[in-house]
Amino acid sequence: MKISVSNRRDFRARAFIFVILAVMAACIVLPYLWMLSNSFKTTKETLIDPSHLLPKEFTLEGYRKVLTESPFFRWLGNSLFVTGTNTVIVLFTSSLVGYIFSRFKFRGMHFLFLLLLFTMMVPAQVTMITTFILVDGIGLYDSVFALIIPAFVNAFGIYLCKQFCDEIPRELMESAKIDGAGNFTIYRKIVLPQIRPALGALAIFTFLEYWNDYLNPLIYLSSTKNMTLPLALSYFSTQHATNLSATMAAAALIMVPTAIVFILFQKQFIKGISMTGMK
Amino acid sequence: MNKGNRKFLLIVLVPVFAQVFVFMLLPILGTGAISFMEYNPLQTVNRFVALENYRALLHDDMFFTALKNTLVFTLITVFFNIIIALSTATLISQLKSNKTRSFFRMIVFLPCMAPIVASSVVWARSIYQTKGGLLNAILAQFGVDAISWIGDARYLMLSVIIFTIWADIGYNIILFSAGIDGIPQDLFQAAELDGAGRWRMFRLVTLPLLGRTMTFVSLMTLISHFQMFAQFNVLALKDGPQSSGLVLTSLIYKTAFVYKEMGYAAAISMVLFLIILLVTIVQQRLGKVDWEY
Repeated sequence: MKISVSNRRDFRARAFIFVILAVMAACIVLPYLWMLSNSFKTTKETLIDPSHLLPKEFTLEGYRKVLTESPFFRWLGNSLFVTGTNTVIVLFTSSLVGYIFSRFKFRGMHFLFLLLLFTMMVPAQVTMITTFILVDGIGLYDSVFALIIPAFVNAFGIYLCKQFCDEIPRELMESAKIDGAGNFTIYRKIVLPQIRPALGALAIFTFLEYWNDYLNPLIYLSSTKNMTLPLALSYFSTQHATNLSATMAAAALIMVPTAIVFILFQKQFIKGISMTGMK
Repeated sequence: MNKGNRKFLLIVLVPVFAQVFVFMLLPILGTGAISFMEYNPLQTVNRFVALENYRALLHDDMFFTALKNTLVFTLITVFFNIIIALSTATLISQLKSNKTRSFFRMIVFLPCMAPIVASSVVWARSIYQTKGGLLNAILAQFGVDAISWIGDARYLMLSVIIFTIWADIGYNIILFSAGIDGIPQDLFQAAELDGAGRWRMFRLVTLPLLGRTMTFVSLMTLISHFQMFAQFNVLALKDGPQSSGLVLTSLIYKTAFVYKEMGYAAAISMVLFLIILLVTIVQQRLGKVDWEY
């Protein structure tokens, strides 16, 4: 078989592109490999010379230290509780209000919707000062509920759900209405199944937002036992300033579960981001 | 509107907008109001001082250092972020196999999944460490002397910028990829028939047709980078030597929650808000795209 010159050139160009991308992928993964490697090193090795890719002596001491000498499971529980609660509540309020903005007409509706969109533009640094005074005022300082109560409504979520509700064929809802279904039944039986892709994407973003949040826990939580994982890690890191392997073990314990979840659901993640253009 | 509908709307919207009012609108108005006060939660009386906080800003060297660092950090990081993200997305789109494409997209997105503070800790302790850190270990192979990446005022901002590009670029690669996938294939085929090579195809088809994605991506990236905080809090320990790692967000945090001077912090946060508003308006004007495919 004869391969034409342009085809061969094309193949070479493609191979070159592949190599560039592979180098880039390596640069992205390397810090994680380094973290894992350091997490298995002995304290002695990290103090003398931690610059080898593979540990000279393999040890689980770092992990043991994190899991037994710090309230790691308590931190994990706090993170799961805050993230889980917020994700469920945000999905519920966003879909319900999105449905209302899409299907009903009432006076002031347009204004309320613009108001919501406006709040999306305001940086957290502006709202956090007054929110802190409010949350502190109702006695929630140093409580995980300080991270939950202000998070019931998500403007972006409402916007996203409204966009998707707009796409639902009118006839679907009209026929349900004729069958005597109430608004809440229509929401539950027709709207929710129809906007599933939007809810999937929103669940991912909300989950990531609260799972990774650092600023709010830093402001509201002061006692060690109430911390969520990201704050706990930076605390742990300063507490163990001389223990590199324990700090890297803690970082790995925080990152590996989300990385696994991501690799399992990567299709949905990437679709969700391209679909909504949102972080 | 019938009674049933009205009841349904009231039951849902009243609590939701009560929440919006208390935790979204009130804080904006409240911070605006507090910025005209000498507000300290430890005081019993908080004096109204009109524009005093804003006037004090003009004579505050720390504020100008933070402002300058924020602008330098944001503009440089966003510029390189977009260039690298766009080229990577284009390169990925050149690959034939669907599997390899999604593999690379997955890898570049990995850092976006991790809490940025956790990644910062990893970089601060394992990569940027002067003695035995990965970066210096690699540089040593080329005979470069150890550099104090986060302990030296000359390198700190560079270190944060490199870290942030690494940590955040995946989002934009995915967004640009989606934009490229959205360009109708026949446009590329037509260009190919006309004998256009890869580079010409990129310059004459991909780039102009990505206008809308570009406007959106650059605006979102700018806004998010103006607000970055976690990596500064970890990598720039105590704002770094000579405040070289001090940005507006860390200044606001410290002023409000460490020194408890909330009035002054509120004034700084209003400046940050104003910058973001301005950027949004300018960007909307410049990035107007009025075509459809």
